[in-house]
Amino acid sequence: MTQVVRAETAVSPLVPVVCKIVKIVLETPDVKTFHVSTPDGQKPFTPMPGQLGMLSILNVGEGMFSITTQGPNHLEFSIKKTGVLTDALHEAEVGQTVTVRGPYGNGFPIDFCKGKDVLFIGGGIGLAPVRSLITYAIQNRSDFGKLQVIYGSRSPADLVFKEDLFENWTSVPEMALDLTVDRGDDEWKGNVGFVPAFIEQLAPSPEGDKVCVLCGPPIMIKFCLQSLAKLGFKNENIITTLEMRMKCGVGKCGRCNIGSCFVCLDGPVFTLAQMQNMPPEY
Amino acid sequence: MKTIAKAKINALLDEIAKKSNVLAPVAGDGASKFAPYTQGAPVSLDGRTLLPPKDIFFPQTEKMYKFTNNSLEGSLESSFEATKPQVLFGIRTCDAKSIHCLDHVFLTKGFVDEFYQTKRDNTLIVSIGCNGPAEPTCFCKSMDVNPQEADNVDVHLYDLGSEYGAVAKSEAGEAFLANYAALFGDADVKIPEVAGFPLNPNLEGVTEKLQKMFDHPLWEEVSRKCLGCGACTYLCPTCHCFDVSARVAGDQGFRFRCWDSCMFSEYTRMAGGHNPRPSKKERVRNRFLHKLQYFPERYGELLCTGCGRCVSKCPVNMDITNIIKQVREVEL
Repeated sequence: MTQVVRAETAVSPLVPVVCKIVKIVLETPDVKTFHVSTPDGQKPFTPMPGQLGMLSILNVGEGMFSITTQGPNHLEFSIKKTGVLTDALHEAEVGQTVTVRGPYGNGFPIDFCKGKDVLFIGGGIGLAPVRSLITYAIQNRSDFGKLQVIYGSRSPADLVFKEDLFENWTSVPEMALDLTVDRGDDEWKGNVGFVPAFIEQLAPSPEGDKVCVLCGPPIMIKFCLQSLAKLGFKNENIITTLEMRMKCGVGKCGRCNIGSCFVCLDGPVFTLAQMQNMPPEY
Repeated sequence: MKTIAKAKINALLDEIAKKSNVLAPVAGDGASKFAPYTQGAPVSLDGRTLLPPKDIFFPQTEKMYKFTNNSLEGSLESSFEATKPQVLFGIRTCDAKSIHCLDHVFLTKGFVDEFYQTKRDNTLIVSIGCNGPAEPTCFCKSMDVNPQEADNVDVHLYDLGSEYGAVAKSEAGEAFLANYAALFGDADVKIPEVAGFPLNPNLEGVTEKLQKMFDHPLWEEVSRKCLGCGACTYLCPTCHCFDVSARVAGDQGFRFRCWDSCMFSEYTRMAGGHNPRPSKKERVRNRFLHKLQYFPERYGELLCTGCGRCVSKCPVNMDITNIIKQVREVEL
């Protein structure tokens, strides 16, 4: 698995780095992407795709989020409005002081994916962690075989990263992009239906040791796994991320354990083969 | 072996207290615990304290950093302070073992917790052996703990009746004994036999058996009476789960960590409301599996030292030795 890179500026793994929100992108009615840099315009640390960051508004609280991608001088967090901290983030403006610590967790197994065809599956905000690896694969296109992205959301308005979906990712060599929505609207010309049924309809072949990376709501994951099994994907080649409540991010505060694994250290990325050896308590 | 009369312990503590802070077992406020020693104060070195010494290294609440947050602008300042050298005097071997477990958690697996480390590095530990159960609920002997001896300390004292036999267990411990040599004599001593323990849970094969018992109905049954009060986790010398929270007043505030308990439903509840351990069945199961299966899988040791505090103080008599017995009796 990937080597963890630690923030060099941090005194303790629990003390964060002060940063600023430098840009906010409205993705959907309830999802925003926050670009975060240090006050002198630097990236607080350089995560590997799939790693996590603890983001905080100082007087509100801290929360663990996947780092959806990064630029040379910033990190991006795509966040759905769903609680106290995320509400405060959604009300924040550019220039708001935030703090960041990390990166945490193992990240996606890039070396394992290299040289292979990769199928990415996302549902709703679940595309956020997957996007870190899609972006990496596009930036290092020759390291990977054929790419395919299957992505679905509740409605056309709920599709996140529209600039990627409708511009940046449409001209990548040998990368297929298949979108679906649960409910269309007057302008939607694409597929209408749930992601698992769409997978079976598209029937991507597992041949050539293809790897599947998927993230989304638990119910979608459950049915996608059944679809992928029907298509013949190996458990070792199905990769997803798990979520648990976290406080420390460094395997000490206790609460993100699933069996003897800590999601913050040993995850959030797990293969289906690994998950089958863990208690189903997530 | 170096020896010191029990009657001279106060004199020894007075001498140590001239040079550094001393934390010793005192009875007060209805709960015996390790507290700063002041000259001539009565210490109770018989039996183990009700409260474990974990707060010496991992305080119940601990400030991590101060911050200001004024509209868009904010800054923070670490509250980290190096601990001044101190002596922790008179912990029992069960509690010495618990510090060994906490070391695994806070100092290994790629991340060192500086707040814990500074207290560990600057605390000289003097332990005392037990020649038998200090309390009726003691069962350390069954949990890979030698009641009479601890190794991960600086100085260990054997209980020889009217005196203690002292052995240095580290270089710092040798220097300590040399410093206070005037109070110690030299004698050929015989360490007494360890008396029998009434509680003797048999741990043989328990970790392996628990690996097959995640879905067993036993958890529903044993968790029924749990009140979810968390007393077991607060009194446990090895329980180390913590919460991170903030106190804010105006534009000033500080972020701190504080003890948390896996017995509380909020502990694992995520934003959006999903809770992977929604009922006490899952929470009680996680607590016992953490002690007896998960920690051994991760660190190679049990996360229970047999101190018996949870057994004696649980308001509904939840008894880990009884659960171990039931696990052994289950037919799979």
